[in-house]
Amino acid sequence: MVIRFTCNGRAVQVEAEPEARVIDVLRDGLRLTGTKEGCGRGECGACTVLLDGKPVNACLLLAGKIVDRDVVTIEGIAGEDGSLHPIQEAFLDTGAVQCGFCTPGMILSAKALLDEIDTPGVAEVEEALAGNLCRCTGYGKVVDAVLAASRRMAPGADRGGE
Amino acid sequence: MRYLKPTSIHEAADALESSRGTILAGGTDLCVYMAEGVCQPETLIDISGIDSMRGIETIQSGREEATVRIGAGTTVAEVAASEALPDCLRQGAQAVGSPQIRNLGTIGGNVCNASPCGDTLTPLLALDARFVLRSTAGTRTVESEEFFTGPKQTVLDPHEILEFIELPSASCARASAFRMIGNRKGQAISQVNAAVSVAIVDGVMSDVRVAVGSVAPVPLRLAGLEELLSGKTVEDLHPANLRDAVLEGVRPIDDVRSTATYRQEVTVALVFDALAACGGQRSGQDEGAGAW
Ligand SMILES: Cc1cc2nc3c(=O)[nH]c(=O)nc-3n(C[C@H](O)[C@H](O)[C@H](O)COP(=O)(O)OP(=O)(O)OC[C@H]3O[C@@H](n4cnc5c(N)ncnc54)[C@H](O)[C@@H]3O)c2cc1C
Ligand code: FES
Ligand code: FES
Repeated sequence: MVIRFTCNGRAVQVEAEPEARVIDVLRDGLRLTGTKEGCGRGECGACTVLLDGKPVNACLLLAGKIVDRDVVTIEGIAGEDGSLHPIQEAFLDTGAVQCGFCTPGMILSAKALLDEIDTPGVAEVEEALAGNLCRCTGYGKVVDAVLAASRRMAPGADRGGE
Repeated sequence: MRYLKPTSIHEAADALESSRGTILAGGTDLCVYMAEGVCQPETLIDISGIDSMRGIETIQSGREEATVRIGAGTTVAEVAASEALPDCLRQGAQAVGSPQIRNLGTIGGNVCNASPCGDTLTPLLALDARFVLRSTAGTRTVESEEFFTGPKQTVLDPHEILEFIELPSASCARASAFRMIGNRKGQAISQVNAAVSVAIVDGVMSDVRVAVGSVAPVPLRLAGLEELLSGKTVEDLHPANLRDAVLEGVRPIDDVRSTATYRQEVTVALVFDALAACGGQRSGQDEGAGAW
């Protein structure tokens, strides 16, 4: 069947079985390969996408569930002109990316948090990232990056400053 | 595979009756089973499009006492965030998986999956929850204590859908708390969990409910302990006083996640901690043992 949904702000339609996994629809159907598959079992968070603004595992999400809903992948958060999102910038500046496999999922979980809370504490960041595993960084710099991003994004912050 | 997405509970019950399909709620258990090949449904009946099965409301039906009604399709995240719900249930929901899992997974799925370590099951038992089951024949209501029959086994017939979870308002008025222990925060499956709910008037406990999970094939109420605690004061609570009654009730096993002895000792500590939290006490085991 034709699956119609909003992907990264644009109405899209893609031919897929309703029982297909959204991770496959994104990667194979729409060639949006920024979303990664690690475990395929809901445990690693590499496949995290935002569904109506909330982080979910695309490996556990079936295509029939996203009809008429809003999906955001890592490809959808940069500016129209290709400028990086402040969270992406903060990940780069802080050195929170090593192999990068977990990064799209980490950034989307962080975005969902910062869309809800302007200035989270360390515990809130850790809780928000609890479903995202990283085999490289040891998490310290990832948490630092999210805190740095929250300072840059806070209302009234000087975007160029940090 | 067929995939059906009914928009009403009646349509879903009809589809289930005629197709003998498998209910798909959030899919956080079912999709894992499908990925692992342990479950290959011929027909999936996705209930996420049934609006009446989502949300939390207080209903007052004539002479009967008010009831808090939770749609089975309400997400675990929504349960964790709802101020209309008692602490133990919100805390249990918050202990499920990760943010991603809580956003997809439903409370109905947690109940119907019936894992002995499911984190909302002991809270529901401690709150005297009732489950409203729907089929083409109508509805029937089952007490939470009678619902679970074994690991991943329930009284649900293949053609029944869990539609609502009901909490009597009296149980929502009691103090309650949930405690669990697992390997790590986020994603950790409980090795043991406990939920208690208790009315405390002038420091004296009554209407005590204690439910423990992962220490038997089904989540259990500890009737002996509940009786022992009734009429006692919160000041007198001490792990040493609970120990015998807790151990009498539980039947833990050794498995990949921990040993039976460890589970027993942890259960005592968790039940104490949850009771202490209800009494507004600082938890911990540092004070001397009083005898009852
Ligand atoms: C990585 C990971 C971590 C997890 N961590 C935890 C945890 O810490 N604690 C915990 O308790 N659980 C945990 N789970 C398990 C799971 O997320 C929960 O059990 C969740 O609540 C299931 O809900 P669901 O809507 O996704 O169920 P589904 O997968 O859609 O369904 C589960 C089962 O119940 C049946 N079913 C669902 N809804 C109904 C209904 N209304 N009527 C009849 N049958 C129904 C389905 O047919 C299926 O057999 C985890 C899962 C994963 C993948
Ligand atoms: S690939 Fe989806 S959680 Fe690991
Ligand atoms: S940077 Fe390699 S997994 Fe996180």
